[in-house]
Amino acid sequence: MSGFSTFLAKEFTEIRKTWRIWVIPGMLLFFAITSPIIADITPALMASISKSQPGMKVQMPPATWRDSYAQFLKSLSQMVLIAVVITGAGAVSGERSSGTAVLTLTKPVSRGSFVLAKIVSQAGLLIGATVVSTAVCALLTIMIFGQSPLTPLLASVSIWTIDAVLLIVVMTLFSAGFASRGASAGAGLGFFFLTLIISIWPPANRYSFVGLTSVSGKALMQQPTAAFWPVATAVVAALLCAWGAVRVFEKQEL
Amino acid sequence: MTDAPAIEITRLVKRFGDAVALDGIDLAVPQGSVFGFLGPNGAGKTTALRILTGLARPTSGEARILGQNASAAGSAVRAQIGYLPDVPGFYSWMNALELVEYAGRIFGIERRALRERAESLLEMAGLTGVRQKVGGFSRGMKQRLGIAQALINAPSVLLLDEPTSALDPIGRRDVLEMIASLRGRTTVFFSTHILADVERVCDTVAILDRGRVVANAPIDDLKRRATADRLVLELDGDPAMLISEIEKRPWVNAIERSGEQITLAVTDLRSAQHELPAVIAAAGLGLKRLEGAEKSLEDMFVELVERTEQ
Repeated sequence: MSGFSTFLAKEFTEIRKTWRIWVIPGMLLFFAITSPIIADITPALMASISKSQPGMKVQMPPATWRDSYAQFLKSLSQMVLIAVVITGAGAVSGERSSGTAVLTLTKPVSRGSFVLAKIVSQAGLLIGATVVSTAVCALLTIMIFGQSPLTPLLASVSIWTIDAVLLIVVMTLFSAGFASRGASAGAGLGFFFLTLIISIWPPANRYSFVGLTSVSGKALMQQPTAAFWPVATAVVAALLCAWGAVRVFEKQEL
Repeated sequence: MTDAPAIEITRLVKRFGDAVALDGIDLAVPQGSVFGFLGPNGAGKTTALRILTGLARPTSGEARILGQNASAAGSAVRAQIGYLPDVPGFYSWMNALELVEYAGRIFGIERRALRERAESLLEMAGLTGVRQKVGGFSRGMKQRLGIAQALINAPSVLLLDEPTSALDPIGRRDVLEMIASLRGRTTVFFSTHILADVERVCDTVAILDRGRVVANAPIDDLKRRATADRLVLELDGDPAMLISEIEKRPWVNAIERSGEQITLAVTDLRSAQHELPAVIAAAGLGLKRLEGAEKSLEDMFVELVERTEQ
């Protein structure tokens, strides 16, 4: 693909040299550090709250490594995915409005390469930061709880990563399609909450990518789950959205 | 180099809804020439350049660059083009050297050669040693950086959209000298509304107004054409009486008086040259000077634009 590697290298340099290095990786690392600590102190916190409220009695079992992982996964599935929406909203529209897309696209860089490099760089940043933060979470969990089985953590975080990468591709499509960053962020948030609502419907949850969150949760709890359809439909949806983003951007006038 | 035009525009139309930005323009830009694309703001110059660079598509008609349809031109054609937009956008986190080298890497220029070329272009642009990020550059600095990055691939065709509009007089002179130095090696197509720039460096000029080409000719031809219907008379005495006599002649279009000098716009130059000496003598005046009046490009530009407005 014309100009792909040069533009991708520019994207990674931009991530390293600008605010982009701090947002998603910063959030992931923050949740990796705080999740085991929050899981550890939550029972004591609840006990102290129940003591201050006459007539209220809260009984919680002692926290375990699973609570630490669950806290981490909950943060990923909510806060980090919303951050993915917000940061991804300007991926293409930001370059278009600042005029930098013109700088690059009047040289031998195809629009397809431009869009795909955006997806690869964002996914690369997310995957790299997820690997590091998962390792940090596992390390802190073993330090606090004495054990940290990796299989459920890796399985659940891997499923979450597929969900997050799909969201990156969807956001790239919106960013290519909408003129402003705000409009694509709005559409992205709409998509995010719509998938949450649709996931309540059992067939959708079982046979489409909207079920990835529950598959991830079940993997953490080591419950039997069928991941094939959610994962397969996520991969197909990501490929279709990537293709759509390229086609939409190719048809646009800059 | 072949004789085929570097840029060929045929019946090019661009509409934005009901608004017509380009209304069937035809142009041919010879290879190696410096071509001035002149017009008032909003004439359609930037739209034409956006179509030539493949950033926009024509509603109808065709724009060809280096023999290929600009709308479908791939990387092979873009590799031979340099482009400076009217308001250049750069990555604010890069410095000037990083930006020019980024542009060069896209063209696949080898690392060592790229560093040398980038430094020499930045020197030409007056940006040597500037280490601050591009985000802190003035508009003039950005424009000079834009020219440097547009030249990194030693392009066959250089497309410049208002390249001197944000420059101070010295920067403007330097850029015009640089453009002139490319003559014969690179086809330079630059849009501007600054007439003096066109007069200074262009071989050929097209004047665009409201999406239409109202003039397109070598600049010397255009000036010659402008002198063809104008005569200047310098008289020895008050020309008031003479003016009323000349006004009666069928070949007179307009008369302007300035002291003892009269400028005539005529429809039949031959008749005017034959009859004027006799009319002047009959009025009892002496003739100091009778010659063709050279219109400046500015006069022509204003005249042509006003004519289309009417």
